Amino acid sequence: MLYREALNKAIDESMAADESVVILGEDVGRYGGSYRVSEGLFSKYGEKRVIDTPIAELSIVGNAIGMAIAGLRPIAEIMTVNFSLLAMDQIINHAAKFRYMSGGKMTIPLTIRMPGGVSRQLAAQHSENYETLYSSIPGLIVLAASNATYAYYGLKSAIFLNDPVVFLEHELLYPMEMEFKELKNFDPFKAEIVKEGKDLTIITYLKMRYDVLEAEKELRKAGIDVEIIDLNSLRPLDIETIANSIKKTKKCVIVEEDHKTGGMGAEIVAQIQEKCFYDLDAPVLRIAGEDVPIPYNRKLELLSIPTPDKIVKKILKWKAENGI
Amino acid sequence: MEYKVIMPILSDTMDKGKIVKWLVKVGDYVKKETPIVEVESDKATMQVEAGVEGVVKEILVNVGEEVPVKTPIAIIDTEQKAAKTEESKPQPQTQSKEETKTTVDIDEILNEIISSPKAVSGSASPAAKKKAAEYEIDIEELQNKGELPKPAHLKDIDEVIIKKYFTPKAAKLIKEYNLDINNFKLDHKIRSEEVLNYIKQNNIPKITKLTPNQIAVIKNVQNSIKKPTFLIFEKINITKKEGIKLTAQIIKALALAMQKNPLTRSVLKENKLLTYPASNISVAVSRDDGLYMCVIKNAEEKSLNEINEWLKEIKTKRLTIEDLSGSTFGISNLGMFGIERFTALINDKDAGIGAFGKMNEGEIKVTFTIDHRILNGVEAAKFVNDFKEEIKNV
Repeated sequence: MLYREALNKAIDESMAADESVVILGEDVGRYGGSYRVSEGLFSKYGEKRVIDTPIAELSIVGNAIGMAIAGLRPIAEIMTVNFSLLAMDQIINHAAKFRYMSGGKMTIPLTIRMPGGVSRQLAAQHSENYETLYSSIPGLIVLAASNATYAYYGLKSAIFLNDPVVFLEHELLYPMEMEFKELKNFDPFKAEIVKEGKDLTIITYLKMRYDVLEAEKELRKAGIDVEIIDLNSLRPLDIETIANSIKKTKKCVIVEEDHKTGGMGAEIVAQIQEKCFYDLDAPVLRIAGEDVPIPYNRKLELLSIPTPDKIVKKILKWKAENGI
Repeated sequence: MEYKVIMPILSDTMDKGKIVKWLVKVGDYVKKETPIVEVESDKATMQVEAGVEGVVKEILVNVGEEVPVKTPIAIIDTEQKAAKTEESKPQPQTQSKEETKTTVDIDEILNEIISSPKAVSGSASPAAKKKAAEYEIDIEELQNKGELPKPAHLKDIDEVIIKKYFTPKAAKLIKEYNLDINNFKLDHKIRSEEVLNYIKQNNIPKITKLTPNQIAVIKNVQNSIKKPTFLIFEKINITKKEGIKLTAQIIKALALAMQKNPLTRSVLKENKLLTYPASNISVAVSRDDGLYMCVIKNAEEKSLNEINEWLKEIKTKRLTIEDLSGSTFGISNLGMFGIERFTALINDKDAGIGAFGKMNEGEIKVTFTIDHRILNGVEAAKFVNDFKEEIKNV
C-alpha cells in the first residue's frame, strides 16, 4: 500500500463512519490534495464535507477550531509544515489552550495534517521540519507517521481524539510502496521497535527510519547488532520503550533530520539522562541536520541532513572515540 | 542523431511515472515544444514536450505502464528534422545530472577512524560505575595500576569481574561459549569444572564460525543434489601394486576409460556441451584444512608413479584455483576407512563421480553417480565396462 493511500483510507473510513468528520485545506477538494491524499473524497462526500479553502493558513486552522467547538471533527490540511508558521497563533494560542482556558468545558477534536521535511531541492523555505516547535507546546499532541500502518491507524486515532493533534507526514513518503500490517490493539502513543538488537539503540522517526534501516545493513556487516525504535508519537514521548531498550543495550544514538540545536534529539537525550543515566555506557550520540537553512543545491542539501552513509560513519567514529 | 525522451521528474517527490496517453505516434514530426505524452505522477497528470525537433522513431513505454523517472520512454530522430530545417542546431541532450547514490564503504570508514585516538576523558561510564559498585571493584585503584583503561566501559568491568571470579581456564570457556556471567553465583573463584557442568546441564552449544571453504562446500553439495542423476552399482577386480596407492590405480584406469568415452570429458554450459580432450579428474582429498575436490590434469598421460606423487603432494601443498578447477569426472575413495559401499555427490560441473569402498580379496565395490543430462544409461554402462577392463591392467 502506498503511504498516501493509507492516509486516504483512514480519512475515507472516518468520514464514512462519522458524519461530523470534515476536511478542509488548500486544494483538498476538486484537485484531490497536493499529494493526492484526499483523492476521490470530494466526489464521494461533496463540497460541504470536503472544503477547498483560500490560501490562508491562519483562517484554515481558525475555521477548523470553530467547527470543532461547534461539534465537528475537522481535519485541516496545511500544504506543508513551512506554511503552518502563518497559522501558529491559532494552533498554539487557541487550539492548544481552549480545554484549559474553559476549565475543561470545551474540547477541540481537531487534526492538523501537515507534510514537512527535506524533499528534493525545494530550498530553505519549503524544507523545514518543525516537530520540535509543536512538540514543545503543552496542550498539543504530536504524531509523526513514518509508515503506511501508522499513517492509517495513527490518523484514525487522531481524528477521534478529543484534543488537537498535529499529524506530521514527510513529503518523500507519499509515493512509497509500504507493507501494511493489520493491527488489533493499536496505541498511537506507543513507539515501534522496528528491529530488535542487543548492542546499540537507534531512536528515529519519520523519513529517517528508512535511512537508519539502510545504515543498519552496513552496521550489521561491521558486527554491530542495533535495535531500532521509531517514535511514532513525539508528544507524548514513549520514554518507557526507549528506557527499556537502553537498559538492554547501554548505548543510544538518535537520528533526526531536523536541525541539531534545540531539536527533538536534545529533548530525548534530556529525558534519557533523567530516566536511565546509570544504564549508559557511553554519551548519547545525536546525528541530526546541520544548523543551517536547508540549501537548494542537491549536493549541499544532502550534506545538510543525515544520510545512510553519514549515519554509519558517525556511529563507527563515535564507537572508536569512546572506546566501546 | 537519436534523442531519448526520458520520464521527467514532475514533482519533488516523484520516483515513478505512468504513461496516460501518447499524443504522437511513430513517424510523427514534432517540434521542440510539441506535447508528445501525458504522464501521471504522484501528484498530477501533465503533458510532456518533445524537447527536440525531429521525427518520433520509437515509443518505448506503452500506455498504462509505470517506469522510474529518467527511464527513456521514446526516441526521436533529430537527423530527419535537419533535412527539413537546416538552420536550427540539434538540441543537446540536457538531462538532469544523475544523482550519485550514496554507497557506504565500511573499509574506508574504518581506515579513517582506526588511527583516531580516544577523544573522551573521565574515569568510567555511568553503567560501568554502577556495575563496578555492585561487584566491589575499585575503578580508581585498578586505573592507577594500569589494569583498567580510562575511561572504563562495561566491557572492561566485565573483564575485571571474569578475572576476579573465574580461573583462566574457566574464563576461556566463558568466551568460547559466549556465556553470560550473571548465570553464575559470583561469590567464589569459579573453576572450569563448574563452567563445564553449567554448559552440560543447559546443553549450550560451542559456536564455531564456518570457514569460507566450508561455506563453498555447502553451496557445492546443495547444487549437486539438484542434478538429475542415476546410480550404477558395480564390483571391480584390482591387483594392488606395491608402493602405489589404490587411488592412483583407480585414477589411471578411469583416465584411460574417459579417453574412450568423450561424454565423461564433457560439461554442460548454456545449452552447449563442451567436450575436452584431457582426462581431468577431481579427487576428494581430506586435508588438515578440510575436504577439497582437487583436480589432477591430463591423468591419461601420467604414469602411476606420477599420479602417486601427485596424491602425496596435494595433501599438503598450498592450493590454487588451478588445483580445484577444470575437471569433468570425479572420484571419492573411502576404502581406507573400511567403508564397504557408499554413494557420492557429483562435484561442481562434472559428468559423474565414482565412489570406491574397501578392498576385499581383490574386489572393490563401486558406485557411480552419473549426471543424466550428460550421459544416459547405455553410455554410462559402456564407460563403466571400459573402466572395469582398464583397472585389470593397471
